[in-house]
Amino acid sequence: MSLRSGFATFAGRSSYWFLHTFLHGGSSLPGKITLKLDPNILKSLGANYDVIVITGTNGKTLTTALTVSVLGQKYPSILTNPTGSNMEQGIVTTFLNAKRPKTGRPIAVLEVDEANVIKVTKYIQPKAFVFTNIFRDQMDRYGEIYTTYQKILDGVALAPNATIIANGDSPIFNSKELPNPIQYYGFDDQPDGDFKAKPNTDGVLCPVCEHILHYHSLTYSNQGKYFCPNCGFHRPELTYRLTKLGEQTPTSSTFDLDGHSYTIGVGGTYNIYNALAAYAVGRFLEVSPDQISQAFTANERVFGRQEVIDVDGKQVTIILVKNPVGLDQVLHMIGTDTHQFSLVGLLNANYADGIDTSWIWDGDFEQLADLDIPTVITGGERYKDITFRLKVAGIPDSRHIVEPDLEKVVEQIKQVPTERVYVLATYTAMLQMRKILAAKGYIKEGLGV
Amino acid sequence: MTYELNVAHLYGDLMNTYGDVGNILALNYYAKQMDVHLNVKVVSLEEDFHADDYDLAFFGGGQDFEQTIVSQDIQTKKAELTKFIESGGPLLAICGGFQLLGHYYIGADGEKLPGIGALDHYTLAQDHNRFIGNIVIKNQETGETYHGFENHQGRTFLGTDERPLGNVVSGKGNNGEDGTEGAIYKNVYCSYFHGPILTRNGDIAKHLLVAALKRKFPTADFSQQEALPIPATF
Repeated sequence: MSLRSGFATFAGRSSYWFLHTFLHGGSSLPGKITLKLDPNILKSLGANYDVIVITGTNGKTLTTALTVSVLGQKYPSILTNPTGSNMEQGIVTTFLNAKRPKTGRPIAVLEVDEANVIKVTKYIQPKAFVFTNIFRDQMDRYGEIYTTYQKILDGVALAPNATIIANGDSPIFNSKELPNPIQYYGFDDQPDGDFKAKPNTDGVLCPVCEHILHYHSLTYSNQGKYFCPNCGFHRPELTYRLTKLGEQTPTSSTFDLDGHSYTIGVGGTYNIYNALAAYAVGRFLEVSPDQISQAFTANERVFGRQEVIDVDGKQVTIILVKNPVGLDQVLHMIGTDTHQFSLVGLLNANYADGIDTSWIWDGDFEQLADLDIPTVITGGERYKDITFRLKVAGIPDSRHIVEPDLEKVVEQIKQVPTERVYVLATYTAMLQMRKILAAKGYIKEGLGV
Repeated sequence: MTYELNVAHLYGDLMNTYGDVGNILALNYYAKQMDVHLNVKVVSLEEDFHADDYDLAFFGGGQDFEQTIVSQDIQTKKAELTKFIESGGPLLAICGGFQLLGHYYIGADGEKLPGIGALDHYTLAQDHNRFIGNIVIKNQETGETYHGFENHQGRTFLGTDERPLGNVVSGKGNNGEDGTEGAIYKNVYCSYFHGPILTRNGDIAKHLLVAALKRKFPTADFSQQEALPIPATF
């Protein structure tokens, strides 16, 4: 470590200690201070680690947590960045904050924002990249899926020897020739048919000949065993396969990976993809199936298990929704609940939510009409938008309560005829809701999950 | 339902960003209230569009890549689309769809890409800037006010036989210069509005549906449909 890096590291670590001790904070400021003193700091901080970079639109956080847990079964020292600290400063802070390992070469599993991959690879040669998926996200901020993938590839170009472990069901990850070794994971549990994705799906053009892709089997969105009937482009050979899909509930999923059975304590097909990604990294680094199974079942905490809040006897689950594919998956997941439930939709359009609310129309709320939901409540700063969305989706006025004020939404929740209540909320609406619930003593202050 | 209308969702599988499909959902919502059943069909790459098969059409916006592909394919549908438009067929075109009905637009890499020239506008690009934000316009003829969200790099300039959908009250509009937003030509409505446009501006959905009904059933009385109240949704 150079003298400059040494000093910068010292300054950053000291600031972390100060912030952590006196202000109970300090997730990105120490990184900021250190970066200011030595912009190349990641080079010396990361040099001694085997780094795994996890990136993509959805599932980064859970995939990272699961990967840490899986690798923890075999490797003694694993560093990771806390939720939300996936930009350069947060990553520097993560390294600053690390204890020195006693033995062996430590591993760092880093969740990295798509546009920040290059800021990491400029200084560090990762051992592997994990690509979870690229979906249409808040487009006023992120832009189009091809632009997002190119940003990731700009970063990958600086690390041509790193193995890419990619979601093989997502056509975009097979669209560019790369010098890197690549391994794919995906779903391989269905007999071959011939399907097209739903009309309102992003990324269905063949990257070779620009015809519409077909699928032998589809999981959701544009993911599955794709092929192009025009030019023969098709899903690559999978290294890691989901071979059987078992029971799915809102709080658990059972499935086989390469013939071994696994259970995770969280619902949603999207979370099976996250588990599959973590499994792939585990197998890549020679963690055994038994150890992986242990990691999946032993440590429920890593799933960020949906927190159930007791509001005067109502079992309330708050779920963050931020883009159409995520929303569809959440709707599908709550639809697997065998108990009757009420639904609350809270929409804001602040910067962190995405200022364009159009995306709610890409979400398939129409599937709610098939569920027997006795009460639906809509609220939040943009309650008019979400109210009309659900009206159009076929929720009858007789079951639909419109309540912009979140304080009053809490009171309405207490009156619903079901014990279970799912609250789907955009980011700032979720924070506001949690703040109100904390003030009323239903939860402790803080973000929780 | 007493009436049926056939709706072409032009390139619905490629031109569908920013909740565009919400326009189809909103059309359906208001159509039901008008006693009208809609048969919606996606008409995409290498599929024929026959003007006589459809009573209404919707053409949404897309990502740059998809729009480039559609710009090539739509040339094969140019004659029939032009026939549909000239014969008074109601059509709603948003963002990329709006651009492709005109003469040309400038793509992401600065290349000039053809539209079908059925309408007399053209679209230029702007460097490293997009018009992003909430927008309000007013249609001078009907007095109706429309709400939307714009997010576009293109700057569109209308031809002489097009009227704007409205004049900008707040926001940028077609090009940030002349105070116009969108276009109206015969029964074609164009706009950069997302939101989507018909979910916030049910009056436009009503205009489109009534125009389609009158064109398909010239002797029927649609005064009830025309009187359908459209409560504010935004």
